[in-house]
Amino acid sequence: MVNCTKYYLLLLCLLFASIPVLGYAEADLEINSPAISSIKQRMQSRHSELVEYYNSGAVGLTQDGMVMVRNANAVSLAKRQHVNSLVSAENQDRNALYREIARANNHPEWESKIRSTFGERWINLARSGWWYQAGGRWTQK
Amino acid sequence: MSQCSISSLRKGPITVISLILITCALMLCASAAFPRLALIFDDIKHPAFEVKSVLSRFVSGGDKAGEIEIVIGELKVQDYVWKNIRLSCGTFQYGRTAMQCEDGYVRIPEFIAFPVAFHVFFDAQTLTIKGFPAKNESWEVALQWNNISWQGVVTIHDISLDSIAKWLPDQEKVPMPGDGRVSGNVSFSGNGADLRTAAMDLSIEKLAFSDRGGLHAGDNISLLLKGGINRAPHQSRWHWHSDVYWQQGEVFWQPIYMAGSDHYLNLQGIFDGETIRLMESAVKLNGLGVFDFSGILDLSSKQLSTLELKADGVRLSALYEQLLQPFLRNTAFAEIQLTGDVDWLVRVEDGVVQSLQIDFDEVSIVDARNRFAFYRINAHIPWLFEGATVADISFLSGHVLSIPLGEVRVPLELNQFDIFLPQVTLPVLDGHLKLENFGAKYTEDGWRWKFNGGLTPISMEALTNVLQTQPMHGTLSGYIPEVNFDGNTVSVNGVLQLSVFDGSIVMHNLKLIEPMGLAPHLMADIAMRNLDLELLTGTFSFGKVEGRVDIDVQNLELANWVPVHFDAHLFSSSGSYSRRISQAAIENISALGGKGAVAAIQRSILRFFEEFRYAEIGWRCKLRLNICYMGGIDAEPESRYTLIQGGGVPAITVIGYNREVGWQELISRLQRITSENEPIIQ
Repeated sequence: MVNCTKYYLLLLCLLFASIPVLGYAEADLEINSPAISSIKQRMQSRHSELVEYYNSGAVGLTQDGMVMVRNANAVSLAKRQHVNSLVSAENQDRNALYREIARANNHPEWESKIRSTFGERWINLARSGWWYQAGGRWTQK
Repeated sequence: MSQCSISSLRKGPITVISLILITCALMLCASAAFPRLALIFDDIKHPAFEVKSVLSRFVSGGDKAGEIEIVIGELKVQDYVWKNIRLSCGTFQYGRTAMQCEDGYVRIPEFIAFPVAFHVFFDAQTLTIKGFPAKNESWEVALQWNNISWQGVVTIHDISLDSIAKWLPDQEKVPMPGDGRVSGNVSFSGNGADLRTAAMDLSIEKLAFSDRGGLHAGDNISLLLKGGINRAPHQSRWHWHSDVYWQQGEVFWQPIYMAGSDHYLNLQGIFDGETIRLMESAVKLNGLGVFDFSGILDLSSKQLSTLELKADGVRLSALYEQLLQPFLRNTAFAEIQLTGDVDWLVRVEDGVVQSLQIDFDEVSIVDARNRFAFYRINAHIPWLFEGATVADISFLSGHVLSIPLGEVRVPLELNQFDIFLPQVTLPVLDGHLKLENFGAKYTEDGWRWKFNGGLTPISMEALTNVLQTQPMHGTLSGYIPEVNFDGNTVSVNGVLQLSVFDGSIVMHNLKLIEPMGLAPHLMADIAMRNLDLELLTGTFSFGKVEGRVDIDVQNLELANWVPVHFDAHLFSSSGSYSRRISQAAIENISALGGKGAVAAIQRSILRFFEEFRYAEIGWRCKLRLNICYMGGIDAEPESRYTLIQGGGVPAITVIGYNREVGWQELISRLQRITSENEPIIQ
């Protein structure tokens, strides 16, 4: 649990630190606001639960910065609904995060570009063995 | 003899078996003359099946016995094709009255390979076929016929469903059985070529199934299946009924998960070849309730032409947890607690809901995130696809965004997807929120609504108490112009006027984006005029200030109810009024400005006077990226700025030097000041 949290923090730091050099110099993707903070906090606390499903391949990362149930068979029947809920909540937060970063930059219209940049970085920073979508197909890292 | 056998068997129901028996009969007719015989059929076509390249070999062993082998090159039944089907019998016995094989074998490469046995008694007109697919597994088909009628029973003993899966087409989204065993029997009877009755009594144990993605799957399921179908002579209508008893198991059918025992499904009705009529059918979900339904399924269009669903006394908590919640994930009702019961009656015609009636009985809805709650809701909601109705809805109490609401009862006018409420008065604390011309409409983009109204005075003490914010004196009242919601944003078309602290507040350009979203954004321009400072500061532990102020807050933006941007300017109102400030208030104002602000006043002088006179108060704050860029009475560019300009005797002037303060630091200071009795002196 502690390791997961540390990993998540490291992931977030790397993610945010690496984004400004991606040719998106005008957007401050490290920008903070009360809304962004609370969204990040929720995502961080959820990550420790999601990591189990990233590891098992049940959940994968999509190109558009979302997560998706990839293989429900990797989860017991009783937990499949819970995984759906986690994925749904995570995607709501991710959508809100991209929107809030765009708003905090006073450029709501940047949301889709911010989303795709984040999507690319989430995949680059994913652990070995996790699944991600590339060209519409699932690939294991 | 051979002609007799053929004609009798053609009336039977199992055409493939008939084919095999015909083949046997032909060979036996010829076997008297030829000890070895082979027959070849190139192509046999039937509306139900197609057979290609049938090779039959018979080797006579003498004394009405021999070996027989039939190889079917290809058998096609609808979309299913099996190749190289091999039927063999090492000791085939035959006579005038009987044929039998005790050690037969059937093999379809990659599908099945198991022993079979059959007996035909021509006098008794019976046929029995037995199969032994695996150890402890068996099935038996027993047929009996006469010149008028026939009947049969298929008896199944502990057959693995896994083996049945091999026969099903492998499709990605079709759940396939992966485990489970079935036992029981299926019986049927008929006259000539007509089936008259059929019945089944099957039990399935430890059933598991899944599609490839695991989105439709079940495990450890035990079921009892009973059913029957019958038709009166010379009638085309079938009466049918079936009962499914769910004894145990779990199912995930995206997005619903159900487990437990003692669920029950009863279906019955009439089938006339064109439609299936469901009559007085019901499903009982243990822990939820009983759901009755009936309807007509049109087979040509594969659509329900009519459907009626009825349920009484369904427990909403269980309904929400087991069925509704997965469908409400992206709505404001994603995480709620429900109590109470609901009844409903729904009528659907040609896929369109024609009428709906919902009754709530003592229902309470509480949002897990505490954004809203409504207690003891009782409602009668009738709705028609064509026509207007009036719903009667009441609740005893509730709150929205922490603002408590009192008892209310509303007659809601419903007209298709429009809702209208001419007027309703909601008790809010010690005042009332009056809503007029409330209209809501459901569109493809979700709900849209609008209203106007007013707020009769409510106590600020009570309001700030429930909002758990800084206590304030006075009352809040006002006029609410048209407020509308476009599916994403609540906007106020006009100015929102409120009365508070003996002054007025006018809000322009008020917008609330995603009010029930994860991060609501509120935007507004606010002009406050002539606020009574004594009322404003009276209940703060801030120190007494007499006077009046105007406050302009331009470009205000709150994200998740926390300010992220504004241009604020507080200044003394014009006019003649008492302008006094207490020693404690001066020290606290100085402290708000940070170290240095207090440098302009002499601590020794402060001790001599309780109150001072002032000419003007002024404070400015531009909030940008969590930093408050401060200023005073004038927009001076210098490093210092005047917060209080003295006037009269004794006079005091407070100068601020700190231009930039972190917003959180400023708030913390304010909270410390107002929560402690003693003022902060730095």
